[in-house]
Amino acid sequence: MKLIQNCFRIVIVKMDSIKEGSVSPVSSFMAKDNLKSPSSEKGDQGDDVPELSFSGQSESESETPEKPHSTKKTGDSSQDPKSSPSKSSTDSPEKKRKLELTEEEQSAHKHKKERQEEERLKMQVLVSNFTEEQLNRYEMYRRAAFPKAAIRRLMQSITRSSVSQNVVIAMSGIAKVFVGEVVEEALDVIEHTGESGPIQPKHLREAVRRLRQKNNIPNTKTKKVLFNT
Amino acid sequence: MAESEKDQFDDEEAEEDASLERRKKIFSKELRCMMYGFGDDRNPYTESVDILEDLVIEYITEMTKKAMEVGRPGRISVEDIIFLIRKDPKKYSRVKELLMMNEELRKARKAFDEIKYATTK
Repeated sequence: MKLIQNCFRIVIVKMDSIKEGSVSPVSSFMAKDNLKSPSSEKGDQGDDVPELSFSGQSESESETPEKPHSTKKTGDSSQDPKSSPSKSSTDSPEKKRKLELTEEEQSAHKHKKERQEEERLKMQVLVSNFTEEQLNRYEMYRRAAFPKAAIRRLMQSITRSSVSQNVVIAMSGIAKVFVGEVVEEALDVIEHTGESGPIQPKHLREAVRRLRQKNNIPNTKTKKVLFNT
Repeated sequence: MAESEKDQFDDEEAEEDASLERRKKIFSKELRCMMYGFGDDRNPYTESVDILEDLVIEYITEMTKKAMEVGRPGRISVEDIIFLIRKDPKKYSRVKELLMMNEELRKARKAFDEIKYATTK
């Protein structure tokens, strides 16, 4: 029973974080806290059935975040102490969970904006204290990008149909992150073996081998055969 | 002889007119800056840049091929790319951020143009 509750808590948290586009630890903690209180309230209900029905609803709830909360809140708080029949008891915790999701979402939103603001300030302070060499490197890091025309030409030669501008933007961004991953892994390899200096092809090859093991590099050329005959 | 080789290979590999042994490097300048930005020496080795360029082209090719199979087969949309990237948090958040910035820039440009139109009229 507790296991089921925990599993559904994780599902709700995951769906929230996917919607926001990034996993934010604050909102996930808040989700767990908010979900704990109503479950302790209805600790009397020992059945699996009402909890299963609640969880099925909660997944659909988390998909529809925008809900008016002021009117529902007053209605539910009056209903809760009288929750003996099964129908009302499953309705009110659902509604309560709906509110808590939207409330926690709003506060998570605020927290996220605050955190973004904080991060921007921290970056400003950091960059203002860079040495000249660090400034150069940072400028290169921010400015270097793949030319959109070349990427578009490459993709169009593969797909034989035209690609939209957003796709080109996305692909160049992903390619840059990919280069960053390989270079960072290669620098890791250099540090591991205790060498120094510019990156050599052997470091790159080792880095790619490591990344392939972690499945960070797609490969559709060789297919692994699981069971032969 | 180069032509017959080209006929045997798919379109995916014969993207330039040059022969296949020495493909023209299309990302050399940008890759050098990028490697320096990510931590390499100020002048990275040319062989390393070559290897990285091959890696990038292969990566883009693979992602494009996979994206063509996902969603509407034969066409690529942004959702396909996002779907392929979903397990990788770095790339996923980067793509979301880029697209969001692009939207904001477009809105800002549109608003600016409207203001300009209103004031000049």
